[in-house]
Amino acid sequence: MTLRKSRNAPGPDLLQGTLDMLVLQTLRLGAAHGYTIARLIGQRSDEFLQVEQGSLYPALNRLEDRGWIDSHWAISENNRRARYYTLTPKGRRQLQQETEHWHQLVKAIGAVLSPIED
Amino acid sequence: MRRFFRRGRLDSERASEIQAHLDHHVDDLIAQGLPRSEAIREARRRFGNPHAIRQEIYEMNSLPVLEPFIRDLRYAFRMLRKTPGFTFAAAATLALGIGANTAVFSVVNALLFTPLPYPQPDRLALLQYHTRSPKSGDNRDVGSNGRMWFAVRDYTSTIDAAVLGGTAGVNLVAGDRAAYVQQQRVSAGYFHVVGIPPLIGREFTRDEDVPGGPAVVILNNSLWKTMFNADRSIVGRTIQLRGESYTVVGVLPENFPVTQRSSFTGGQGVDLWTPLRPSTNGEGGGINYTVVARLHDGINLAQARDDVRNASPHAFQHVDPGTLAELDLVPMQQAMTAGIREPLMMLWGAVAIVLLIACVNIAGLLLARGATRTREIATRMALGSGRRAVIRQLLVESVALASIGGALGLGVGWLVLNALGDLAAQTFDLWQPLALDARALGVTVVFALGTSIIFGLAPAIQASRLDVRAGLGEGGTRAVAGASNRWPRRVLVIAEVALGVVLLISSGLLVRTFVHLRGLAPGFDDRNLVTVSVSLQDARYKDPVAVQGLFDETLRRMRGIPGVEGAGVGLGMPYTRLLNNGMRRLDGPEVDPPDSGQLTNETYVTPGLFEALKVPVRQGRVFADSDGASSAPVAVVNEAFVARYFKKDRSVLGRHLASGKEVREIVGVVGNVEQGSAGWGDFEPISPLPCLYIPVSQTSSAFLTLVHTWFQPSWAIRTSMPFETVVPKVREALQSVDPHLPIAEVNTIDDLRGEKLVSQRFMMILVAGLGLLALVLSAVGLQGLIASSVNERTRELGVRLALGATGSQVMGDVVAPGLMLAAIGVVIGSAGALVSTRLMQSFIWGVTPTDPLTFIGVVAVLLAVALLASVIPALRVLRLDPAKTLRAE
Repeated sequence: MTLRKSRNAPGPDLLQGTLDMLVLQTLRLGAAHGYTIARLIGQRSDEFLQVEQGSLYPALNRLEDRGWIDSHWAISENNRRARYYTLTPKGRRQLQQETEHWHQLVKAIGAVLSPIED
Repeated sequence: MRRFFRRGRLDSERASEIQAHLDHHVDDLIAQGLPRSEAIREARRRFGNPHAIRQEIYEMNSLPVLEPFIRDLRYAFRMLRKTPGFTFAAAATLALGIGANTAVFSVVNALLFTPLPYPQPDRLALLQYHTRSPKSGDNRDVGSNGRMWFAVRDYTSTIDAAVLGGTAGVNLVAGDRAAYVQQQRVSAGYFHVVGIPPLIGREFTRDEDVPGGPAVVILNNSLWKTMFNADRSIVGRTIQLRGESYTVVGVLPENFPVTQRSSFTGGQGVDLWTPLRPSTNGEGGGINYTVVARLHDGINLAQARDDVRNASPHAFQHVDPGTLAELDLVPMQQAMTAGIREPLMMLWGAVAIVLLIACVNIAGLLLARGATRTREIATRMALGSGRRAVIRQLLVESVALASIGGALGLGVGWLVLNALGDLAAQTFDLWQPLALDARALGVTVVFALGTSIIFGLAPAIQASRLDVRAGLGEGGTRAVAGASNRWPRRVLVIAEVALGVVLLISSGLLVRTFVHLRGLAPGFDDRNLVTVSVSLQDARYKDPVAVQGLFDETLRRMRGIPGVEGAGVGLGMPYTRLLNNGMRRLDGPEVDPPDSGQLTNETYVTPGLFEALKVPVRQGRVFADSDGASSAPVAVVNEAFVARYFKKDRSVLGRHLASGKEVREIVGVVGNVEQGSAGWGDFEPISPLPCLYIPVSQTSSAFLTLVHTWFQPSWAIRTSMPFETVVPKVREALQSVDPHLPIAEVNTIDDLRGEKLVSQRFMMILVAGLGLLALVLSAVGLQGLIASSVNERTRELGVRLALGATGSQVMGDVVAPGLMLAAIGVVIGSAGALVSTRLMQSFIWGVTPTDPLTFIGVVAVLLAVALLASVIPALRVLRLDPAKTLRAE
């Protein structure tokens, strides 16, 4: 999962692309720090998607590098210093695109997988 | 990319972020009821390995291209450190080549190509006159006489023009201080034409710039500050100049670039200006002016030249049929650099040769290195390194090497420029500080880099065709070295030696020229002589009686100083330039008609000067006190004068010459004295010029006034005491006769001679330095070639030694090819030198361009150095232990 690999081969690396999308979607709700993001992803998927929490950070680094999210340090609800991420306009557009793409993919796969009636 | 440079800081930030994540998780787990220790363990388990994650992010932020590059760079430096001999030779070669080139080009650039320091300098031109006749050929000379100037002033419409005269030292008295200052005479409008108006006050008006006009003066900024404390109210006040009252009308801004006849000085050299008051007689009767013109807006040079040409009929009184005489303009920059262009271009050529040699050397060194690395490259390729990676590695090494050389070269350049700057400032009028020229540095670095890359890659290109097994095999066994791959290097060494020969022979000729000029028999006794000069451009010394009174009285007192053996005054001294004046022969086999005559050199002297200088008297007598204003006019000539003007009958005593209106009888012939260049004819920079001597007592007021604007008479004093004790007493003697006469200069004969040889010295030192550099570089190149051949042949030589060959046999085998190459280079170089030295003809005096001594000497030196450069590395052969060599597999 290096930067170069993802740049040169933006193919359907399902897991990676999916995690990016989930992070962006989570940030649509507002600024959040890493732990919150991980927890929200878990909660919103009814704990179905249990990502190894650490793998979230390379994704955050990549998203920030591409200018889809911004970050700043602030004091959290637990009174701790934490790094908060926010969605940039560019990130919002990206999310919209990816979401569309995802739905198309799901629809297409769904169509193929639908019970064969003859 | 941004993240690449910040990745260190980003990483520590990331660490605290991860810690915050864990802390939040722990908080949550504790809230869910877990004990603290278990909460921490659980949080860590869910998170994964923080170090692995940080590592991953760190790598994400690295640049894929840069990372291996840095690795290559590290490797390159390691390789360079491992071969200090090669690295030193290559870096030193590059540094010297780049440094010398950049420094010399910076000087050339500053002197030749930097625009003149005036506003819109490309609009400025100087007047030149163009003459053509069957007798004297086609000539173009910058300069003007009074008539030409008036023609330009009154009959042109496309230019603003002004005229300037010479610069001379004069005496300025301010309060109780007397100072010797440099005065230049310029016409009205000069400051307007060059485009730099006075800071305070105004420049001269047309009514001030006429004969008999008011005495007005403009001060240079530096004089205004030092003598008048930068007092702005000085304008309108009067100062005492040359014994007369002058009204100050203006002060110039700082660093005014002074226009000299053929050069510039940056605010130096001229302290004040007075009106030129041009006329068509006296000074204006000869070519003693320089006309500066600024083209009107919208006029191009061709139009202005036509305009000036059309004014020609007003400038020349009569033009003989079949001859041409017309006015013309030449761009000022071109005119100002005309005299120095040729020597500087030659210098540049010499430096270019050195750069070429340096590049050849680098090429040779890199090729040698490549050859020894065949095995390393083969190993790397065998281990799976791609061709691209190998090429990249070699490329990085070349660039690293060139960078080291470039950085050192910058240092060398700076050092050379400092040394050169001092020398150049003595030789040329620099009107701006010298600085390393960035473009020159750029060009030379690109050259060096290019060479490094091309020849650094050669092994890589070979390697791409390399049969890995053969490479490993050959490198491993080091059998008999393959001869084929050394040919490029041999050609390079030959080229290097040949170029070195060309440069060394050129510098040899310049050295010989200098030695010749320096060693010319002076024609007088040049030991224990000191000269003191004073400006007599002074209202109190317009009359021959006053001048003679000053000379008589000062000489009487000086001769009374203990240790003074003789003293006399002359308008010109040995090694200085003399007055150019016309004369006519009135009797004898050759007689000049009344309307023409002969150009010759002239000087006035007092009785006692020939005796003080110990100039031998060949025939007749020299001047005595009895040759006064009322006695018959007499003249003394020298042997060169007789040889030049009385070829047919050399018995000249009693013959008559007309110089001006005066008819003089030749009463004596003296030996020749070395003088500075004549300003006419094709005499050497120092040569025994034909000279006409007249007694100062038999001159006119007009003559003295004129010559004293150009020349300062000198007292020559022969003494048996050290100069330090005599000079103050001489000064005292002068001051006691006239306290308002400051001494302009005190010189020994060596000073006077040295001044004339300054440019020869400059060229000699530079070209000789470059020649030496070339010699060293060639030696390094040859040495490297032999050393690497010994390296490659270690095994072969070991075997031969083991089989009973003697050390000297084997050594001879190693050295012979080196000497062979040097010999070929010497032959080619000598042939080249025969061509190149012909271009130097105008710099060479006293030797022929094919001087056998120089050629033989250089060849001998080069072969000796070649022998040494070959033998030293070959000595390794003697230290070879055959047993060890054979076992070293």
